[in-house]
Amino acid sequence: MLKIDNLVRSFNSGGTEVNAVNNISFEVPSNAFVSIIGKSGSGKSTLLSLLGALDKPTSGSIIVDDTDIAKLHDHALIKYRCNTIGFVFQSYNLIPNLSALENVMLPMEFANQAKSYRRDRAVKLLNEVGISQDKHNRKPGKLSGGEQQRVAIARALSNKPKLILADEPTGNLDSENGKMIFNLLHKLSKSEKTTIIVVTHDLTIAGKTDKSFKLSDGKLIK
Amino acid sequence: MNIFTRGIRNTFRNLIRTFSVVFILGLSIGLSLIMLISRSAVNDKINQTKSSIGNSVSIRPAGINGFEGGGNLLTTDQLKPVSSLPHVTSITETLNDRLTSTNTSLQSSITAGSFGQRQANINNQSNTPGGNGGGRFGANFDPANFKPPVTLTGINNTSNLASAIGATNVILTAGANIDASSSSNIALVGSSLATKNNLKVGSNFTIYSTSIEVIGIYDTPNNTFSNSGLIMPLSVVQKLSSQPNQVSSANASIDSIDNLNSATAAIAKQLGSTADVVNSQTQLTNAIAPLQSVSKLSLICLIGAVAVSSLIILLTMIMIVRERRREIGVFKAIGASNFTVMMQFAIESVTFTLIAAIVGIIIGVIGSSPITTLLVNNSASSSTSVGGNFGRRAFGGASVNNLKQIHAAVGWNILLYGLIASLIIALVGSLVSSFLIAKVRPAEVMRVE
Repeated sequence: MLKIDNLVRSFNSGGTEVNAVNNISFEVPSNAFVSIIGKSGSGKSTLLSLLGALDKPTSGSIIVDDTDIAKLHDHALIKYRCNTIGFVFQSYNLIPNLSALENVMLPMEFANQAKSYRRDRAVKLLNEVGISQDKHNRKPGKLSGGEQQRVAIARALSNKPKLILADEPTGNLDSENGKMIFNLLHKLSKSEKTTIIVVTHDLTIAGKTDKSFKLSDGKLIK
Repeated sequence: MNIFTRGIRNTFRNLIRTFSVVFILGLSIGLSLIMLISRSAVNDKINQTKSSIGNSVSIRPAGINGFEGGGNLLTTDQLKPVSSLPHVTSITETLNDRLTSTNTSLQSSITAGSFGQRQANINNQSNTPGGNGGGRFGANFDPANFKPPVTLTGINNTSNLASAIGATNVILTAGANIDASSSSNIALVGSSLATKNNLKVGSNFTIYSTSIEVIGIYDTPNNTFSNSGLIMPLSVVQKLSSQPNQVSSANASIDSIDNLNSATAAIAKQLGSTADVVNSQTQLTNAIAPLQSVSKLSLICLIGAVAVSSLIILLTMIMIVRERRREIGVFKAIGASNFTVMMQFAIESVTFTLIAAIVGIIIGVIGSSPITTLLVNNSASSSTSVGGNFGRRAFGGASVNNLKQIHAAVGWNILLYGLIASLIIALVGSLVSSFLIAKVRPAEVMRVE
């Protein structure tokens, strides 16, 4: 499903080239639940940005279903982000003045789905992630951290993506909620037949995924 | 929820900021509208003044002013070539006569008063050759019971009736206007004179032993003297008063204020020393100078207010985009295109501006009239009435006080201009914010994590 080959992302820092991602190659099969672990500054988030087409690599290729997204133009990248990728962020990044339901409907609007379909699917997804009906119309500020992350997961699933990228999804949650969110992601990777890549520094979580990659100073440690 | 409702809802995300921006932007748009309305009203007045008084040339027989002075009246034959001079569009010839009780059945509606009695005495004595006691008003003249004569005006053109009788406005209150080219014994009667003599449309009276039919009654508001007069076709007055072909004054209309001086010179050259030919150019320039100052001032203020409005929405949108940089990153990360995000912010900018435009229109409607009056009064305060007797003749009775009477009307076109200007202002605000939005990379959302 995903094949990374000699991936490099370098930044200019005070006149010096710094490789945040340094010549990484790995493969992730379809429907796998994979974790990327590493210390802060190891290049985990940069790698996730590259996989999610939020950033362009300096060199190397990212093959997703036979398409090298590193070579796609802006318009194709927007379609890729809209239809193939789902993001889950550490601090949820829900739109604060939209309700939980509206937040989940948003990616489907960008994918030009019909309004009735958007609503029905958003309701179904919110129910699936355990957000009760009475909270569907609540703004994110009126939901707990765990509930907000559930809404974020529902939003990530809305366009039935092939790949979900989760950046420290449990980082802002207590251990109880963190465990619930992890279990939810694990369950969804099976039920929604989605490949999930989780960036974390929690070794316990990493130990429960199908496969784990460790990053250090931008390099993959086997 | 779609992009429009999201954009509109975003406008009200921070109510305190929304209220502040709308209030300041509304004031600015209101000021723009006030300046636009003032400028439009002042320019209308300038054009109206130019068209009504600015393009006429006064022609008087040399040495004669009304019924004073000496010399020879002009003749229609002398004036005929004037109407064919370049830029002269029409010429209104008048012949004035004073009808005393000996040559009309009418009684003047004006009381003599102390002024009339004094003038009568002077005229009677100056018209008494050798002091035989006959005088202008006869041997039995009694100053105490003196009745002023009725003023008769013969005209050959009714298009400039008010100017011909020294009034600012002539309103036909009954009957029909006269055909100035007619040779019939018909007359328009001033409302005061008609009331005094019980005249109605269809009534008859006599002058020079000739029966005249009243075909219309006119009123000249705020002009008692003109309201007591008679207007008849020029040729009839010339015939009845035994002044064939004679003309006591004329007004030539010029096609454009720009050609006034050249046309005046051409008329003066044509008539030579027989006539005093003057125009209203200098007086007009002096009279409208304060209005032109107001027009310029309001244009500067208009440009300034529009610029400030644009700056307000521009800075507001820049502030909002910077504040929601992360949110823009989220939108892009979950599949929104640059265009979608830009549109959402553009709708927010337009909503801000349209709400402010409504506030601005209310401010504009309320403030335009008093502020226009204030500007005009302040600018014109150093001016006094123009030209005295000359001004009254040359301007057809207009004075600078009339120039101050400006009606600042708020028309649909002004409101439309206001809305269009507001949309342009919103567009300016959106364009810069769009540029900033386009520069936000989706990876920003990861960087702040």
